Amino acid sequence: MDIKKSQQDLNAVANDAESTRLDRRDFFRKTAALSVTALAGTSLLASEEAGDPAILHPTPWGTKWGDPVTKNLYGMPSKYEHNVTRRYTKLLASGNFRASIAVTPIQESSGIITPNGLFFSRSHGGIAHIDPNEHRLMITGLVEKPLVLTMKQLKRYPSVTRTHFIECPANGGQEWRGPQYNSLQFAKGFMSCAEWTGVYIKDILKDLGVKKEALWMLAEGGDSSKMGRTIPMEKVWDDAMIVWGQNGEALRPEQGYPIRLLVPGWEGNLCVKWLRRLDFASEPWYCKEETSKYTVLKPTGKAIQHFYANEVNSTVTSPSPEIDWTDLKDGDIVEIEGLAWSGMGTITGVDISFDGGKNYVEAKLKGLVLPKCWTRWSYMHTYKKGQELILASRAMDDAGYIQPTIDQETLVVGVEAVYHRNAVETWKVEKDGKITHVEIRSQLGRKANGELVIEGKA
Amino acid sequence: MMFKLNKKLLISISAAAALSLGLSACMENAAPVDSITPTKASIDGGVNYPVVNDKTGPYYINTNAHNADVKYGRTPTKAEYEEWNSDMMADGTGLPEGQGTAEEGEEVYEAKCVMCHGDFGSGGGGYPALSKGNAYDLHKTLTNQRIKPDTDGPVRVFGTYWPEASTLWWYIKDAMPHPLTDSLSDDEVYALVAYILNANEMEIDGVEVDDEYVLNREKFLKIKMPNRDGFEPNVAGPQGPENVRKFYANAKNFGGQTYDVKNPASRCMKDCQEPTAKVVYIQGAGISDFHPPLSTVRDLPKEKENTNFDAKKAYADNCAMCHDTGAAPAPGDKSGWAALTAKGMDKVYENGLKGTDTGMPAKGGSSLSDSQFKSVVDYILNQSK
Repeated sequence: MDIKKSQQDLNAVANDAESTRLDRRDFFRKTAALSVTALAGTSLLASEEAGDPAILHPTPWGTKWGDPVTKNLYGMPSKYEHNVTRRYTKLLASGNFRASIAVTPIQESSGIITPNGLFFSRSHGGIAHIDPNEHRLMITGLVEKPLVLTMKQLKRYPSVTRTHFIECPANGGQEWRGPQYNSLQFAKGFMSCAEWTGVYIKDILKDLGVKKEALWMLAEGGDSSKMGRTIPMEKVWDDAMIVWGQNGEALRPEQGYPIRLLVPGWEGNLCVKWLRRLDFASEPWYCKEETSKYTVLKPTGKAIQHFYANEVNSTVTSPSPEIDWTDLKDGDIVEIEGLAWSGMGTITGVDISFDGGKNYVEAKLKGLVLPKCWTRWSYMHTYKKGQELILASRAMDDAGYIQPTIDQETLVVGVEAVYHRNAVETWKVEKDGKITHVEIRSQLGRKANGELVIEGKA
Repeated sequence: MMFKLNKKLLISISAAAALSLGLSACMENAAPVDSITPTKASIDGGVNYPVVNDKTGPYYINTNAHNADVKYGRTPTKAEYEEWNSDMMADGTGLPEGQGTAEEGEEVYEAKCVMCHGDFGSGGGGYPALSKGNAYDLHKTLTNQRIKPDTDGPVRVFGTYWPEASTLWWYIKDAMPHPLTDSLSDDEVYALVAYILNANEMEIDGVEVDDEYVLNREKFLKIKMPNRDGFEPNVAGPQGPENVRKFYANAKNFGGQTYDVKNPASRCMKDCQEPTAKVVYIQGAGISDFHPPLSTVRDLPKEKENTNFDAKKAYADNCAMCHDTGAAPAPGDKSGWAALTAKGMDKVYENGLKGTDTGMPAKGGSSLSDSQFKSVVDYILNQSK
């Protein structure tokens, strides 16, 4: 994309972002004054006689019987929540919506768990509805003892419960050449997080006599696309699982019912759904979804293959283009909240910037901080009416990685990579409190040898 | 301090000395404080959490459960094994005997593939292209980068991009045609592969794959893909996994950035952007074709205004992709439909509901009810009288 056509000087936008701290001092002064009033007055009630009808009028739900417990034996969300759904766009649709994706409304997510009905849904041959009584798992290849298991037998192995995100590595993949979606749901919603229950594959394998020549595992689905991916043995002997439980109930069909592979922290595509076969070999397989797709083409013309882990990443979730700050008054204290995650380890910290990633201050982590899991973070901000800000968050993990700037990332992998984009993401807070998705980046050029460079850089 | 180092790395991505610094910084700090330091870096460049004192990272483990001699299941029979063992390796393991020509492939393609993959594999409508022309010429486009509006992108189709031909054979056999997979004979797959090689203007052993070229197992194994060596790290051979480990131990290989995990205060907090960096906005309206449209309103869902089934819309959503593209008779194609209705309406409905082996998927691959589907058939035929 041509940055020059749509550029704006970074300094001109977030002009007074650095005054945030001064604002806080002002705030403390004002709060002190208010407290004095509170002590002096006997009543702080407003004097108008009328009031909020929501309080003054009796409500039907407050005066009449509700539903009997016999209704909705499998519970549904409140009908008022009908706008909180997965969403799709025809631009990411193929195969009559059978090789497509519907993404999670993370702007509405709370905590670190995605409810099963909102967990993002990606399939390559449609959502299979498998009869668990007619489903088998077969383990073959370089093992002394090949094995076939019914679902009931599989669930007899000692169970393991872990909370992990699953992220499609194409999360943000439409925005390598510039921002495209004014929406958090579409910019970052190709991921979800859940508590999974299943078995470690190593617990099944330890009795099967895996031969030492076995370097790779093929995981293959039983759906019409026979989705297959190659996994290195190290991950199999570490934390790879076969899971049947999701947030305390069976996997949903969209997530591979009755069983799927879970490869914690790695590309969602590797977590093969409707799993029916594991095969072991001394050479990798070159599956269609690890050659034609899910490879990262660099400016050198070489493409990265077997790019397993989703790297450290974060986003501001509140505010977002969907849920903005137009209702805030000058001086309101507002929590800026977000998610951070890393498929390479555990989040160790998140920094927030008010000027598009030029300067950062530390945000605070909140709640459980688990490996390869969504992590909540927060920062308390005093809103100044009319002030433009460019909010950016930057996470780091215990593996020693920190999110790159867009320039840092694109100089190495270019703008054709499609997958694994984890550069710092930015929202612009407009004067009226609306939120706009922007990117902070330089115009790239090329040297004679093909190497990408920043244009106009001294 | 660390920031200055990172910035240097960024400026000169080819500086070997800086690279090794980044590498050692990352590997040294690869383990969390409360776990055993792994003997080598993880294969993915990250950390893992070995079991220490009945815990892995923050999770407790019942070590007895994982050491116990738990075994269930049985040995698969030979027939069971063979039924599911449909994968194919790059060296041809799993590739059956058989043969086919591009000419034969064209017939299958026109009947079962063209509706999605377009004429000669040119793609369209969201479906992948199979060819964009001469694979050897277009392979050179892989260094293209659309960094400006007037630059062309790389061509990533079978001929130009895929490293192994085995992927094509296996994928067609197992996963195509998309609405009815695992339905082609081995000879049909050979014929389709020959057709796609032909569309990509490819050669085998110096011989052009023309219309009459008979592709069989022996010749297939001689296919050399132009982009065979276009991928990193090299995963083939006994050193494959170690090559992967080495690749991901260096963040500069994949565009990652490191910080000093033992001294996080050293990360960049001031002036962390390039002076040249600008605010870039969404061009035009961006992508906003969202379904359902974005809304955060808490209200009652709208009553469905019209519960009547819209056959015209159902046709557009489920049938038009084939019937409007010439792959099957379109509404209004009187002679095309007359030939089908001549067998009686029961047969027309039955073929539609159950699908045919000439390319019509059951109910067109839709999720319509039988009666809804029949009303779509009625709609088409009313247009074609």
